[in-house]
Amino acid sequence: MSAPPRRAGRIGSSLLFGLLAVYLLLPIIAVLLYSLATVWRARILPDAFTLDHYVRVFNDPRILGAFGRSFLLASIVTCIDILIVVPAAYWARIRNPRITPLLALGAAIPFALPYVVIAFGIDRLIGEFVPSIQNTLAVLIVAQAAIAFPFFYWAVDGSMAAAGIERLSEAAETCGARPRQIVRRIVFPAIRMGVVTGSVLVFAVSFGEFALAQVLVGSAFETLPLWQADAMLQTTGRFNDLAVTTVLSFVLLFLLAVVLVTWNRGQTVRLLPGATTQKEGRA
Amino acid sequence: MWLPAVPLLLLIAVALVLPALSLVIGSVTEDGQLTLDGWVRVLTRRGDQTAILTSLALATVVATIATLVGTPVAWLLSRMLPVGRATWLALLTVGGNFGGIGLAFAYFAVLGTVGMVTLALQSLGVDFLPPRPSSFEGLVLVYLYTNVPLFVLLTMPAMGALRDEWWEAAQVASATRWQFWRRVGIPVLTPFIVAGWLLIFTWSIGIYGLAYALAGAGAATPTQLITLRIGVILKSDVTETWRANVLAVILMGIAIVSLVTYRAILRRGLRWVT
Repeated sequence: MSAPPRRAGRIGSSLLFGLLAVYLLLPIIAVLLYSLATVWRARILPDAFTLDHYVRVFNDPRILGAFGRSFLLASIVTCIDILIVVPAAYWARIRNPRITPLLALGAAIPFALPYVVIAFGIDRLIGEFVPSIQNTLAVLIVAQAAIAFPFFYWAVDGSMAAAGIERLSEAAETCGARPRQIVRRIVFPAIRMGVVTGSVLVFAVSFGEFALAQVLVGSAFETLPLWQADAMLQTTGRFNDLAVTTVLSFVLLFLLAVVLVTWNRGQTVRLLPGATTQKEGRA
Repeated sequence: MWLPAVPLLLLIAVALVLPALSLVIGSVTEDGQLTLDGWVRVLTRRGDQTAILTSLALATVVATIATLVGTPVAWLLSRMLPVGRATWLALLTVGGNFGGIGLAFAYFAVLGTVGMVTLALQSLGVDFLPPRPSSFEGLVLVYLYTNVPLFVLLTMPAMGALRDEWWEAAQVASATRWQFWRRVGIPVLTPFIVAGWLLIFTWSIGIYGLAYALAGAGAATPTQLITLRIGVILKSDVTETWRANVLAVILMGIAIVSLVTYRAILRRGLRWVT
């Protein structure tokens, strides 16, 4: 608002943001300290600091394996979503608008339904019709690609709308460009940002996903969240190892978030899904 | 022509639509016979009733607190200078995406028996016992960590619906700040705020991994939630699968109702945006 804020309002908002900052940062700081602490039992801060836990984690084949599997899984799922969502979204916009409501409806499913319900449904369906592929990695990959696709679809479709992809493609066609040229020279540059944003979101979803991994494959393909959950349920203190793995996945997440925000120049990535903004020409 | 969209449509059908249908059918059949037996047995059993009510209560409390805290934050952020806003957005994005097992562990690091805040307060001589992670209050505290940032990120763009010119117009008409908010500000923003509440409600009720990690860790009687019951049955009790099936369909029903309401409300709100 252009009116000068009242003093009470200013104090109130500083207080609000101060508390919010504490609330958001405290867990991060606590986990970081735990990953570096030697003994921390009685005082506000740890008795001393060490990098031993990091060394131990990096030499633990089980944790390293889990980390690697999560990374691999998230990469594959991201690639699949890029390969199948981009053509569908593009085609829905330039050729066959009847596809759009189907995609919107499909995107609403994992958005609303809990992952544990979807996992259960998939498991049930497979058990009934193709029990031979139960508990395989392929099922988990397909399932994760399905639950993560809306994030990618919204990002890419939004960037297509912002770029006015229909008119761009039409103009290119009128100028006699071949389909491959259009896709390479026009479409990809125009939606690059949407693809990057979407990929980051899909990767993050897949990397931290727990319900599908637990229900569909379980310990046969131990991802990082599965290992973490297991370590938390054991009463013997793997506290510091948990702290280290949390910090590491956190650093990964943070780097991705930084990439996102810088690419979008301070704009939010998410909008209330289903809402179209003024920027999008076709609302 | 449909060809370029076929892989994605297939994926949606096989991994999302058919599993949901399979659950619905499974909840009303037994050995190929149509029956509502499972529903009756779930709805009349004390443990399942508790789980359903607790899930609803938890999601309501979380969504309400997230709305009360998130609305002023979203409003102030939407009027902030871009430099400050970018920093806050980065922080909120991290918070909003920091969920699951890692967050459960963070709770122990902050408020566990040897957590940072617990130790700090106790060393100051305060007789402080943190809420158990598997208790209702514990779950609310942890759920809020992701849901307040999510609420802010979701509703902040909508705050632009309230245009600065309207406040100027109100001032020209010598309206007070309070009158402006009551007659213009709140009516315009309400649909978006309610929509945000509904999303947080829907997501909170479906959280599984986080609750699993918190409830499992050292609790004799963890808070009963629908998602946790489904998980426990799937993991350990094959004979009770029908029960999990009915509970899953109940979750689906709740999700569908809130999503339909969400869309209707959002459509109302968008009248002012375009």
